Amino acid sequence: MSAIDDLATELSRLPGIGRKTALRLTYHLLKQSSDQTRRLAEALLVLGERVHPCARCYNLTEQELCDICRDPRRDVALICAVEEASDIGAIERAGEFRGTYHVLGGRISPLDGVGPEDLRIGELVERARGGVVREVIVATNPSLEGEATALYVQRQLAPLSVTVSRIARGLPVGGDLEYADGVTIAQALSARREMR
Amino acid sequence: MLLATDAIVLHSMEYLESSRILRMLTREAGVQAVIAKGARRPRSRFGAALDLFAQGSAEILLKPGRDLQTLTGFDVARGRSGLAEDLARFTGAAAIADVVLRFAHDDAGPELFAIVAEALDGIAAAPQGSARERTIGGVWRIVGALGFSPSLDACSICHASVEVGDAVLFHHRAGGILCARCARAHGGGRAIPREALDALRGWLAGEAGPALPSREGRAHQRLLHEFVREHLADGRALRAFDSWASDPADA
Repeated sequence: MSAIDDLATELSRLPGIGRKTALRLTYHLLKQSSDQTRRLAEALLVLGERVHPCARCYNLTEQELCDICRDPRRDVALICAVEEASDIGAIERAGEFRGTYHVLGGRISPLDGVGPEDLRIGELVERARGGVVREVIVATNPSLEGEATALYVQRQLAPLSVTVSRIARGLPVGGDLEYADGVTIAQALSARREMR
Repeated sequence: MLLATDAIVLHSMEYLESSRILRMLTREAGVQAVIAKGARRPRSRFGAALDLFAQGSAEILLKPGRDLQTLTGFDVARGRSGLAEDLARFTGAAAIADVVLRFAHDDAGPELFAIVAEALDGIAAAPQGSARERTIGGVWRIVGALGFSPSLDACSICHASVEVGDAVLFHHRAGGILCARCARAHGGGRAIPREALDALRGWLAGEAGPALPSREGRAHQRLLHEFVREHLADGRALRAFDSWASDPADA
């Protein structure tokens, strides 16, 4: 197998990259200067060597604990459980949450071979068992798989004296009721809150 | 060609930044893989409609010779959120989807669609502890609709009528029950009690079936799993179905 085939094969393993795109990227890299391709190769190597999951929350970090877990201003009694480390970025961008996180590592998806035992649910229960944690917010995606995962997490945490909450689902800010689908409207109605 | 048909979402995966690739069972065109462009955007025209096991009216742009078609619209009629309320329901529904996605093709018709819709509804509404029986019944009916219904009234080998006493021999390779003579001549198979045979007949006729004690439920799960592996499987793993069939806690 040639070097071109080798790289195209590796690139085609990435999500959303098919064989054609992989070949296009490979030929694009061949047109770059050797300095530029070396920088890319080094960045990939460093990524694999330095980045690992946080020992506490499984966010990605280059230290033992991630920036959020090391931040003394964070409320450690409040944990937001998310599917992937990339979800933390989305919540942090909103700038409203001051608690800590727990990355489950996916969602229950039997068709993709992912069961509850493949997720870091046991680790979350252990964290919650310590007595410090007051509330766990389950922020898995608002899909059937995310919902099944959230309910499973809730049942695992139920024996502990910890409040378990679920992020709300419903109409998007700036959305138009007229164009919302029936499922979204039903969810928004069922998760309505009293106006004060 | 634009196909307007009822469809059920059986599998969903994220594609690129904002799209989804779905596999759907349609009423008119069997299993179809479709791309829903922009489906993950917050203000997508698909909204929350394309959730797993959702059923609705789909518009699919079909191009002959392509493996991936384009979904141009989907109006959800039934969301089946009840499937997420219990892990046994969720794994049961996933087992149904696994079997359909693997063994049904684009020539599957309205009968299979109706059976799958009914099976998913049955599992979503299953009382606590009976999701397993609903799943077993659903998969047996799907097996039947795919043309592999086991012979339960006559001997699978000699076609003689079978005198069922307290138990009868069910032979996977032969495709159903055996008469006493063929049972003596052919090794293997599983002896199943008369009640189990009656339950099988009920499920294949579309009945909800009896609530079974855990041991009997496990035995039925095992029998169904062996039958599917014998007649339908091609050696590749059926991840969700195998996982459901081997889960003793599913009750």
